Amino acid sequence: MKDPTHNKLWILGTTVPALLFLTLIAYLPITYAIAISFFKKTAFSPKMSWVGLKNYLWLLGEADLWSALGRSAVFTVGSVLVQIAWGLGVALLLNRAFRGQTLVRSLFILPYLLPTIVVALVFQWLLNQEYGVINQVLLQAGLVSRPINFIGGLKTAMYSVIGTASWQYGSFVALMVLARLQAINPKLYEAARVCGAGPLRCFWDVTLPNLKTTLLLLALLRGIWMFNKFDIIYLVTRGGPLKVTETLPIYAYRLAFEEFDFGLAAGVCTFMFVVLVLGSIVYFKLFDPTKEVEVGR
Amino acid sequence: MKEERGKHLQRRITRRTFMKYAGAAGVAAAVGPQILIPKARGAKKDQVVFVSEESNPKAIAVYEKINADFEKNAGIKVTMEYPGFANIHKRVATLIAAGTPPEIVWYGAGQAMNLALEDQLADVGDVIKEVGGIPDSLRMIYKGADRSIPTSQQFTYCWYRKDLYQQKGVQPFKSWEEFVNVAKALNNPPNLYGCIVPSAESGASTILFETFLMTNDVHWFEWNASKKQYEVALDKGANKKRAIETLDYLYELHKYSPEASTYNWAELMSTYVTEKAATSYYVGARLLEQVMANNARIADATVPLAFPKRLTDHFFLSIQGFHILNHSNVEGAKQYCKFFVKHPDCIKWYHAVPLHIIPASREVLRSAKYQDNPVIQKRMDVLNFLDSMWGKGVPLYYWDGKELNPFIGLYHNDNLGGWMVAMRNIKEMKPEAVIDEAADKIRKKMRKMG
Repeated sequence: MKDPTHNKLWILGTTVPALLFLTLIAYLPITYAIAISFFKKTAFSPKMSWVGLKNYLWLLGEADLWSALGRSAVFTVGSVLVQIAWGLGVALLLNRAFRGQTLVRSLFILPYLLPTIVVALVFQWLLNQEYGVINQVLLQAGLVSRPINFIGGLKTAMYSVIGTASWQYGSFVALMVLARLQAINPKLYEAARVCGAGPLRCFWDVTLPNLKTTLLLLALLRGIWMFNKFDIIYLVTRGGPLKVTETLPIYAYRLAFEEFDFGLAAGVCTFMFVVLVLGSIVYFKLFDPTKEVEVGR
Repeated sequence: MKEERGKHLQRRITRRTFMKYAGAAGVAAAVGPQILIPKARGAKKDQVVFVSEESNPKAIAVYEKINADFEKNAGIKVTMEYPGFANIHKRVATLIAAGTPPEIVWYGAGQAMNLALEDQLADVGDVIKEVGGIPDSLRMIYKGADRSIPTSQQFTYCWYRKDLYQQKGVQPFKSWEEFVNVAKALNNPPNLYGCIVPSAESGASTILFETFLMTNDVHWFEWNASKKQYEVALDKGANKKRAIETLDYLYELHKYSPEASTYNWAELMSTYVTEKAATSYYVGARLLEQVMANNARIADATVPLAFPKRLTDHFFLSIQGFHILNHSNVEGAKQYCKFFVKHPDCIKWYHAVPLHIIPASREVLRSAKYQDNPVIQKRMDVLNFLDSMWGKGVPLYYWDGKELNPFIGLYHNDNLGGWMVAMRNIKEMKPEAVIDEAADKIRKKMRKMG
């Protein structure tokens, strides 16, 4: 029988380095960020003074915070829905044997592998009002009489960032859904066809129920990641024009580096954390993916 | 024995003890850096960290030469950083917050005011005295001391395509009305626009608006002599009327411009360089440098022109200089600044972007040494134009009064001017409402400053 002390030391030895690493890169910065939200800390002085809840009271009274929260919700829901629709569609298309399937599958995954800056710059050029290829095509085809200001338009900018983000991250959804599709028992489809089910019925009664858990988990994961997304929005629109794409992460960045108030910026980040925690609690209460997994078994 | 050690280990690592230690670690993580980091980097006497806004390769080459000579001469190593124009104040903020402030920052005095207000800038009056030749109008004096060593300046003016103007038979404009008429005559979208009016929360848009406000004698603040402080004046009396007039004027001009709702400096230049606009503007001659580099065909036809006068012929003046931070190797930094300004290659530094980084001293501008540059020789018309504009530029912090205005960062650094133009031109908000909201924003920020 193995010595329990030896087991404990073995467990500690294998987990402590990872825990230490996680503490250093995640828990310490998070704790520090929450801590400075209770201080007045400007960017141009190393000093900070305790203000308690003053930062939070100021933030909660700011219309910009609530507007940014609304935009974050729009961006999150919009991009998650588009990614899931796009990913599901692509996965269904790829879920069959055909010549060159490996190459085609690799090409569909490529957007996810590209650096965000590359994606942002490419889309900035594609969607450019003066030089963009999309406007050129639309003008040549006679579909529009004047170029559309995709990135700079008050009504189009949010769609542009949702589209750009969805193009890049839809591949991740496609990958996950494809893996789940491959695991569905083909006998279920045979049985459905024997009962007279057509393709749509098969999709509704066989494919979707089997994908439910995967899609719910993807919605949660993509939702969290999209809610926290800073890079693609900042690179494409910088939160503009006139803050129509200013989500909470962009707002936090503006407070930190344009208004030079680290305390307030940290307050926004803590607010985001609380929103995500509350959102996750609601999600698990409503959907309870663990139950889905058990039912699936 | 082993069993006893095992039990001892079990007793030590309980959930309660783990939470206790984790909580203590959390508090240490929150408070520790504030105690440790400021002490972590003492001012090293043999090192100077220099953060420069200018990252042009020719300027970098000059820095490297002068730095090598300085190290040989003074035994102090200079470490350079080039975060770029858009990111320099973020970089400086990060370094200060980390407790490792750089010794020298070379960038706009207007931006450096943020540092002055936080008492982060050293008194450099002794360096200015020794260097000499710096006009009073370029000095930034805060709490009775010089906080900036001005090295250069940039004027704000228009650039236009002389060939296109001649083709259309129009003369370069001298008044607001003439500018609109010229822009209208040349406007042929989407191939060519008469002018460019950036309408975004960007520096380009902000400075355009601030310059037009100056030409219409509009003041953001006024000095209250009894309270001895500046108060917001944008939404008061005749000042407000002229501010509304200026917004409406740019709204009219915007009809002959690309929508430009995302434009900043790069777009301002690229639209002109790619021959999509007959008139553009810039703070300095970098636009001309980009034309020469990317579309030399239109370089000779690219000619400078002053902004049209309304009530004044003033314009936004950008002043750059060395700013030495407190809590760093101040003496080493001062030594370096004096060495730099007196070094023979300092003239090459001005030549890195010819006619863009204009010397702080008019004597240097007019000197044979400064003019001994092929680009300057080819474009003496630009140098003569700059000489004719000398003294008309006003830095924002002295626009509203003789006392340094500490509040300009509240509207200038936040690109409030750009926001106002965007709200009028893109969102089509009424100008009175834009002015009122802008004034409220400034007052709110002043209250927050305390």
